[in-house]
Parts: sequence; C-alpha cells; structure tokens
Amino acid sequence: MVADFEVEFIERDDRNARFLVRGASPAFANGIRRAMIADVPTFSIDTVRFVENSSVMFDEMIGLRLGLVPLTTPLDDFEVGETVTLALDVEGPGTAYSGDIETSDDLVEPADDNIPIIELKEQQRIELEADAVLDTGREHAKHQGGVAVGYRHLQRVEVVGDAGEFDEGEPNILRGVIETEDGELVATDEFDHDLAERYPGKELAVHDVPGAFVFHVETDGSFSVEELVTRAAESIGARAAELETKVAV
Amino acid sequence: MELRVIEKTDAELRMEIAGEDHTFMNVLKGALLETPGVTAATYDMNPEQSGGQTEPILSIKTEEGTDPLDAVGDASRRVQDLADDFVTAFDAAA
Repeated sequence: MVADFEVEFIERDDRNARFLVRGASPAFANGIRRAMIADVPTFSIDTVRFVENSSVMFDEMIGLRLGLVPLTTPLDDFEVGETVTLALDVEGPGTAYSGDIETSDDLVEPADDNIPIIELKEQQRIELEADAVLDTGREHAKHQGGVAVGYRHLQRVEVVGDAGEFDEGEPNILRGVIETEDGELVATDEFDHDLAERYPGKELAVHDVPGAFVFHVETDGSFSVEELVTRAAESIGARAAELETKVAV
Repeated sequence: MELRVIEKTDAELRMEIAGEDHTFMNVLKGALLETPGVTAATYDMNPEQSGGQTEPILSIKTEEGTDPLDAVGDASRRVQDLADDFVTAFDAAA
C-alpha cells in the first residue's frame, strides 16, 4: 500500500454516481478524471453504407447522428479497433429511433431506445448498414464513455457561533458535498444548496478538506460507472507499467 | 509510448515521451516529486497548433547517487501501485 485510499459512495445508480475519494493527490485525481473522459473506449458508429435514403437529410447528416447514439460496450470481449455491424431499415410515415437499429451482436446494441434519428414522411425510406468501431474519446468525442465527469473538494462545515440577532438572513449557497462536524456526508441538494437552510441562525466556517475529492461521474450508458472508473485507473497503471519496462532496458 | 533520451548525465535527464499527454505526464510528475532522491521534476508540452515540439518532454534532476532513469522506474512503479490501490479501494466500496 503506497497510499491509503478511502472510497465512499454518496449517490449511486447504474449511469450516475457521486463518490468521495480520500487520500488522493490532485495530480492523481485529475489523471483519473481525464482518463475517464478520453481513454476508456466505447463503441460508436463510424462507417455507414446507405442502401436507400429518400429522407430530407443528406447521408452525412444521418451518419453524424448515428455516430452519436451510445452503444453498449462489453470491454472484456472486444479490443480497440474491432468492429460490429448494425443495420437500420425504417419506412415513413414515422420516426426512425435508435431502438430500430438492428445489431449483429447482441452485446453491442443502442444503450437507449428512444433517441430520434430522423422523422420520415409518406414515401420516405431509410435503409443502411453501419459499422461501429471501438475507439477512445481522444480519437473522437463520440467515443467518450463518461459524459459528465468531474470532481470538487469535499468541504467541511463547522458551526463557530450564533449569527448576530439582527443580521440579515442571507442565503449561503454552496454546491457539492459537505462534511458536518459529526463526520456525516451530506449532498448539498438535500438542503437546497443553502447552508442557511440547514444551519439557521448560525455563523459558519467552511474549509476544503485536503486530499478529499468528491467525484461526480455520469456515463452515456455504454457501461456502468464502476466499469468506467476501474478502467480509467487501470489505463493509468498500464501506461506506468509500459514506462517502467521501457526505462529498465 | 516511444521514449527518446535527449540529454542524460548522472544527475539530470531530459527525455521525450511520445504519445502521452497531460493525463499521464502530470500523474508521473507528481509521483516523481514524491520519489526519494529526486530534487526536481517537471514536464513541458506544447499545443498541437504551436507547430514545434508537441510531444511531452520530461526533465528531472536527482541527488548524487540516484540515477535519473532509475528514479523514473521507481516513479512508474509508484503510479502502478497507486492505480492498483485505488481500484482495490473503489471495488471494496462498490
């Protein structure tokens, strides 16, 4: 053990989580954040072969929209650069949705079924075959697995006294997660981001807690938050391993 | 990752680490500064549009008795340990 990391979840579901990491250096926290955005690969449509496109949009515009549809990505089963073929065949009147996309491999399918691709009128039809490729966000933003990834310092709120009797009751807005004097972690949306709401009539002192980062991670549905965070940390470790072997020669 | 040593003495090293960016270089620099025997460590990176040297260059200085290349090796070992410990701690909480 070189560092005593302590991880604690504050909010958590499949695509969205907020967790506290204690014992990290700013460099390491930022490395993990950047790796989550740019270095964890996801599938995204990259090549499209149109059989018919009698819609009101050019092939290229449909291609762009298809590229932005998140696809589920089982990272254990694929390597960067591998492709999976998908197809779409919709006739108007009606809207072509991401859920209409057929896949040749059940492991890779649209993460959401309700993303509109194009509205088709009477007599309009769209039929195409597409190749999704596994690549990283560094290559193209459509391959980003993490769509909203960031961190804030954990903030410690201490009651230092009572507010003056005739003070204006002004709001004291703070966003993120606070640590109370009892060591309890509270997300600020629980009290409407207003400290005056939680500690009425008190005078407060707020400090950043050193080495404690509250990460907020949201994925596009390609994989779970746990997968994204773990893969990001592993990608940093893998690069360090590569450097170590190359320097040793 | 392609390494190219630009300048190397017993106590100093300048090395290009092609194919990497701030994501890894900053973590590495942070680890180097915590490595015993290292007196100074930094890296320089220029944006794509600058037209000159755009790959990161790592520069380090070490105390007598510490080979700069060994220090880089130690620091990369440390980064791996950090990453492993982080994954362990994260998995335990998840």
